[in-house]
Amino acid sequence: MKKLKMIVIAILITMILPIAVFAAGSADVEVDESATVSIEFWHAMSGARVDLIQGIVDKFMAENPNIKVDVQYTGSYNDTLNKVKSAYKAGNAPDVFHSYEIGTLGLINSGIISPLDQIAKKFNREIPWDDFFTPVQSYYKYQGDHYSMPFNSSTPLIFYNKTFFEKAGLDPDNPPKTYEDIRAAAVKLQAAGYKTPVTWNLHSWYFEQMICLQDAPFVNDKNGRSGKLPTEVVFNGEAGQNVLNWWVGMEKDGLFLDVGPGWSNHRAAFGSGEVAIVMSSSSDVNRLTEALADKGWEMGTGYIPRPAGAKGGVAIGGGSLWMTNNHTPEEELAALKLITYISEDESQIAWHKGTGYFPVRKTAMDQLKSEGWFDENPNYLTAFNQLLDSPETLNTSGGLLGIFPEARELIQSAIQEMYAGKPVKQALDEAAAKANASIAEWNEVIQ
Amino acid sequence: MKQSTFNNKYLPYVLLVPTFFILVVFLFYPAVETFRLSLFKIHPWTGAEKFAGLYNFIKIFTNGDYLRSFVLSAYFAIVVIIAGLFFSLLIAILLNQKIKGMRFYRTFLIWPYALSPAIAGALFNFLFNPANGVLCYFTGFRTWLTDEKTAIIVVIIAAVWKNLGYNIIFYLTALRNVPVSALESASIDGAGPVKRFIYITFAYLSPTTFFLFVMNTIYAYFASFGLIDVLTQGGPAGSTKVLIYYLYKDFFVHSKIGYAAAESLVLFSLVVGVTVLQFRTAGKKVHYQ
Amino acid sequence: MKQTRIKKIGIHLLLIASVLIISLPVILALIISTQTEAQVLSYPPGLVPGTNMVNNYVSAWNSVNLGRMIINSTIIAFGVIIGKVTMSLLAAFAFTHFEFKGKNVLFGIILVTLLLPVPVRIVALFDVIRSMHWIDTYAGLIIPFWASATSIFILIQRFKTVPSELIDASKMDGCTPMQYFFKVLMPLTKSTIGALVVINFIYIWNQYLWPLMATNSKEMRVVQVGIKMLMSTESTNNWGIIMAGVIITMIPPLLVFIIMQESFMKGFALQSEK
Repeated sequence: MKKLKMIVIAILITMILPIAVFAAGSADVEVDESATVSIEFWHAMSGARVDLIQGIVDKFMAENPNIKVDVQYTGSYNDTLNKVKSAYKAGNAPDVFHSYEIGTLGLINSGIISPLDQIAKKFNREIPWDDFFTPVQSYYKYQGDHYSMPFNSSTPLIFYNKTFFEKAGLDPDNPPKTYEDIRAAAVKLQAAGYKTPVTWNLHSWYFEQMICLQDAPFVNDKNGRSGKLPTEVVFNGEAGQNVLNWWVGMEKDGLFLDVGPGWSNHRAAFGSGEVAIVMSSSSDVNRLTEALADKGWEMGTGYIPRPAGAKGGVAIGGGSLWMTNNHTPEEELAALKLITYISEDESQIAWHKGTGYFPVRKTAMDQLKSEGWFDENPNYLTAFNQLLDSPETLNTSGGLLGIFPEARELIQSAIQEMYAGKPVKQALDEAAAKANASIAEWNEVIQ
Repeated sequence: MKQSTFNNKYLPYVLLVPTFFILVVFLFYPAVETFRLSLFKIHPWTGAEKFAGLYNFIKIFTNGDYLRSFVLSAYFAIVVIIAGLFFSLLIAILLNQKIKGMRFYRTFLIWPYALSPAIAGALFNFLFNPANGVLCYFTGFRTWLTDEKTAIIVVIIAAVWKNLGYNIIFYLTALRNVPVSALESASIDGAGPVKRFIYITFAYLSPTTFFLFVMNTIYAYFASFGLIDVLTQGGPAGSTKVLIYYLYKDFFVHSKIGYAAAESLVLFSLVVGVTVLQFRTAGKKVHYQ
Repeated sequence: MKQTRIKKIGIHLLLIASVLIISLPVILALIISTQTEAQVLSYPPGLVPGTNMVNNYVSAWNSVNLGRMIINSTIIAFGVIIGKVTMSLLAAFAFTHFEFKGKNVLFGIILVTLLLPVPVRIVALFDVIRSMHWIDTYAGLIIPFWASATSIFILIQRFKTVPSELIDASKMDGCTPMQYFFKVLMPLTKSTIGALVVINFIYIWNQYLWPLMATNSKEMRVVQVGIKMLMSTESTNNWGIIMAGVIITMIPPLLVFIIMQESFMKGFALQSEK
């Protein structure tokens, strides 16, 4: 009897032990963490941000003396992506690189990246995604895995001139929330002497966001997130038409000033007092507050507008950090540490204060609150609240599309045609047709 | 009147070796490689190739927007060339006078040429943008860059402006090299300054004019994408999307590598055709000695 | 006499008017380079010089290390000029002063390369440079530009105007072609070479796409990449600083032009010495 018991126990042990070891071993790659390792980090943040990022990286290196990070500004998002492509083919792509959000589906299908969550699992480290703002992390989540680390996130925001509102008989503490509100406010402002009181730059981003606000998709196949490649755009549907009927309608009625594309003109028009309501990136809060304060005006902020009754949320824009897949485990771990470090509150708060982009974690917001940051900067609070008030759906996570840059061009061109007189539905349908043709091509090549 | 030549058999080839080596390795080979890609559909990331025959070319020629761009580019080129040569010749003549302070005038008439196309675009944006453009303020029109009919005019002005210095440099050099003796003998023969210019100077300028014609064609067709990218991004509604900008976007932004390669072959053939035409017609009329 | 004076005053006036019109955008850049961010964003546009000049220029210089980039661009420019002018002189000489088999074909080939702009070949060129391990080196930025149909073409046009008598005389004197090249042809070509130096300096100085692709490290950065670095993609640009950077980086090409002016402004006497 004793012998049989021993044999059974022995068998059980020999069965369980390997499983235990195997299970632990498959998640734990053997890496010598004290060895010196060199990694490269390419990003697309220019101007004063170059130094900001260097500062964050320097602190990381101080805390991790065996990791050497070579951080470079490599041009615009587009230039950076091209360099990464060329470098990857040459076998020396950077360990970490920065991409714009609309490049996400392309990168997921590129074959050159390692999904972030899978790397984290490989080294048995967990990224506390629950701490992150919902829209910030949901954008880069695909089929259950987060593929990249959100880095510079923003949403659009409404900025308005409180001083002008008072002059026009509008309540300065009650920003317009719906399409109808904005129109009504614009009419009153016009009556008070502000000729064309509303503007924003010609950018497809606002169009996309206002579709998210109606909880509608941008492309088919679950907004591109189903795991299959989307085959059609749906931005020419009812939600898209709602947005543009209102937007272009205001332009036709002389309430909206066409300042063209690019990021300078609408800010200039707002800062100079030519317009009273502007939509721009949430990272502009401090800049625009100062611009108005310079002239003795007070600024307010509000959520971006929706048609009355719509129940959606905003998606985030900006960029994220990706890892390439042709590196040694030592380099991968170092890259993972760098990326995680950048997402932590200390770095993110410095980043937010320096650039206006959202810190990625809710814990950072708590810290900022306790510091009194939002008391000094109440307009930032609106932006943060807009994030918190956005539900997570496949639509509010943002649409994923391989040919996103081209789709944006088509939409912007279509809007220009609408300004020139083409009916909204026709221009949108034509843009959609062109986009679908490109999608078909892209899908064929990428598989 | 053919020029005299030396009689060495091998020397000319030796003289040409360095140039051809560089040309073949760094110009020809990459270009041929790019053209080859036009027959394929290419994966934007891995470069994997799928043979596609003439597919890309068919797509190009059935694309209404691209065909519109053909016409637009021709219009753009013609105006840029003629305006460019005309104004630069006028200025070069002015600069060729014997008055004080020429160095100052010369420098400050060609200095736009020293700017990069992107900066030139940014400056013209400052002049014409709808929000606070200086010239918008002074002309009373805000829609210079947002109206399809006027945006291309702004781009043309910017392109001509930027390249004036280049043309002036060559015209000035050429004007300086007009033999004084020829002008003197014409003067003795009783020709006034206008006649002297038309018959003597212009004739001596003809190699330069021809050269600048070709170079400005190349400039108009190939060099303007940096400027357009900053100034109008091809808008509004494609009214400033010339062929090279299309190509630039398709190659570098949309990564439609095979398609863009086909575009480059088409553009290349077009400009070759134009240049050959120029050589055949005007080239014969150029007076060298 | 009075007529000439009026004529001269008239020409001065025309020139001044031309300078003003043509320089308008550059003057604008100068004004903006002195303004603070708020002053730039005003409407009606602020055309009065602002108050931030020293700050802007210092910021522009320091924030992207313009000094290093100016040095890089200068080295690359002169590297290209020396190689390109030399090779082009030899090639143009071959085409104009000799008869040889295949001359027209070879000339046609060179002409064709005129029509191959950088965007067309840049990606394939990158592969070539990479396989030679010239990424991030001066070689990769200089050597591909040593052959130029433009420069050869310009020199051919110039060489063709050399009168046959000069060549015949040299032949009769027993000059070898290379002796003729150095003693007779070069002195006649100074002005054109001057023009080539200016053209090529500016061409290299204004390059953006190729240096961006072909270099990675901060030490190898060139001027135009630096200027782009001062501009932000989404955020508000501080145009004061950007224009300060633009003005600073305009100075070297202008200097080159001013220096070379003297050489290519000299005409030549047709009756040359024997």
